[in-house]
Amino acid sequence: MQQDQLLDLYRDMWLIRAFEQALEREFEQGGVPGMLHTGLGQEATQAALASQLEATDCFFPDHRCHGINALAQERHKGDGERIMAELFGKSTGVCSGKGGSLHSADPSVGNYGDNAVEGSYMATVLGVALAAKMRGEAKVACAIIGDGTVGRGEFHESLNMAAIWDLPVLYACVNNGYAIATPVGEGHASADIVDLARGYGFPCEQVDGNDIVAAHEAVGKAISHIRAGKGPYFLEFKTWRWQGIFAGEFRPEAEVKYWREDHDPILLANDALEAMGVSQAQRSAIESEQVGRIEEWITFAKESPNPELAKATADVYVGWEVASS
Amino acid sequence: MSTSTTKRTSFTKALNDALDQGMDRFDEMFLIGEDIGEMGGDFGVTRKLWAKYGAERVRDTPLSEAAIIGTCVGASMVGMRPVAEIMFADFLGECYDQIVNNAAKLHYMFDGQFKAPLVIRTACGGGFGGGPHHSQSVEGWFLNVPGIVIVAPSNPEDAKGLLLASIESDDPVLFLEHKALYRARGEVPTGYYTTPLGSAAIAREGTDITVVATMRMVPMALSAAEALDADGISVEVVDLRTIRPYDAETVLASVAKTGRAVVANEAPKIGGLGAELSARIHEECFSELQAPVGRVDGLDSPIPFSVPLEHEILPDEADITAAIRTTMEASR
Ligand SMILES: Cc1ncc(C[n+]2csc(CCOP(=O)(O)OP(=O)(O)O)c2C)c(N)n1
Ligand SMILES: [Mg+2]
Repeated sequence: MQQDQLLDLYRDMWLIRAFEQALEREFEQGGVPGMLHTGLGQEATQAALASQLEATDCFFPDHRCHGINALAQERHKGDGERIMAELFGKSTGVCSGKGGSLHSADPSVGNYGDNAVEGSYMATVLGVALAAKMRGEAKVACAIIGDGTVGRGEFHESLNMAAIWDLPVLYACVNNGYAIATPVGEGHASADIVDLARGYGFPCEQVDGNDIVAAHEAVGKAISHIRAGKGPYFLEFKTWRWQGIFAGEFRPEAEVKYWREDHDPILLANDALEAMGVSQAQRSAIESEQVGRIEEWITFAKESPNPELAKATADVYVGWEVASS
Repeated sequence: MSTSTTKRTSFTKALNDALDQGMDRFDEMFLIGEDIGEMGGDFGVTRKLWAKYGAERVRDTPLSEAAIIGTCVGASMVGMRPVAEIMFADFLGECYDQIVNNAAKLHYMFDGQFKAPLVIRTACGGGFGGGPHHSQSVEGWFLNVPGIVIVAPSNPEDAKGLLLASIESDDPVLFLEHKALYRARGEVPTGYYTTPLGSAAIAREGTDITVVATMRMVPMALSAAEALDADGISVEVVDLRTIRPYDAETVLASVAKTGRAVVANEAPKIGGLGAELSARIHEECFSELQAPVGRVDGLDSPIPFSVPLEHEILPDEADITAAIRTTMEASR
């Protein structure tokens, strides 16, 4: 990979990390309502996807995808702060605060919305892909799911239907080792999700989701395959999430150390840049630039007004009004 | 309302005509479901459409109800107009999440950025020995879900007009087809027309009592009304046609006029349409009411296979007649 490209991805990864760390802080201080799942530790996988899906493509983000959502806004419209505002439930958010962390969408940047019922959009993605195929559009429809979500029946219905109809679907399975506290090998017949996907007969690949170069290359290859009209593609990203469970850290100390110190995606990219001769000063500048940007987004979100109360019953139906009191 | 030419047509054929005329008119429309293609569907509603429109637009699927409705949701998000067939309404549980959490909510939760103009046609209702998993009335499963439209025709003319209106609608529609009505026949306009959603019909005018009925309960209520004429009881029958959002204005105006009401619905009594209508009528017509609202529903039970047992559970014309008489007698 060229140095410039790696620098761009490094910048993207830092945007995600800064976003999630600031969000975690604000959440602890009580400024962010609801529940919070962060993408910390999964920045390489997320940047690899966000940097290669176009605004005319479609992706269904999962509950850890604030970073992908923000990157998509930044890249295609330059308004990543609207993802932050959405998480604060504010009127300036992408869904005017009605969706929040688990339901942020903006189709104009390719974001078709998260769904807090894990795996639901494994079925929905088929329809976007089918419509693209019927219309002859070269659209990629991507569903991003966790390893735990593989347990849903929709997972198998979806892979089967995408296979028999040759649909342009990119399945991006983020295997971070656990579904809440259930280890992937206990929840599924195989700890390697690709083994479960292979039976459907389209290309399936497992990649180190913390290695930005490998992840980026795998996504690029999958997207070219799909755009060429060759049907679905399954990618499993091996990664690890920093966030434990609500009660705290439950995973073995050595495992935590490996993923956070020895195999952290940002540290790995940092080392690669150093090897290419990018100075410490330049790398630090990227970090502080992104941290500063995110603090501006936090301020924007906090200072934005709440939605008008009339929004509460707006858009229940297209064809009918619902009484507001 | 419509074109002048009419033809005597079955409920099934009226639905088939609606799909045909819809497919002809809307390029973005497609049909999807199990064995709806060459076979024409379990009840023959999609017959000959596969031959006419091809396998791209008349799509057979595996037994994957969640994927069928998920496909409709996704396709409708990008402007297609899919019409799914779920063979039996009892199987809506397999795609409940897609309907309730996606189709019904995405316009709202994504702040109007998406619409879900899809139709889910499904065969519901009992009375033919289908047993516990092929006989249910499911409107109550969806009545409590804002964002969904529930349409429930009682005759061939409405079946066609309501289906075309459902296809035109930008909201997701659950279109209930009572199995006992498929063979019903009536005059149906041959051209393209729509019957408005959210609008009830006065199926019969009367002055003493209003029966608000849905689907198969409508012909039963009409027949009961004819018979009661001889006893000097004048029954008005309101065919609700759309169950959600329902036409409260027509229902309440009729009850305000007659001063009495019976609500007739095949689903189990507790927590369903009958409960909602009865509560609403009591709330809004209390001063006009001369008797408590009478109720005709299914018993609070699953539906058994044995024909006499099934008769025990499901309401029929005699139950409607009895409820009308009781309500008349209870009048103050
Ligand atoms: C259908 C459904 N079941 C359960 C949940 C509750 N839940 C939220 S996240 C989660 C674990 C998901 O695990 P995984 O897919 O591996 O994602 P991760 O959080 O590890 O990124 C569960 C069970 C849900 N949201 N939806
Ligand atoms: Mg996981």
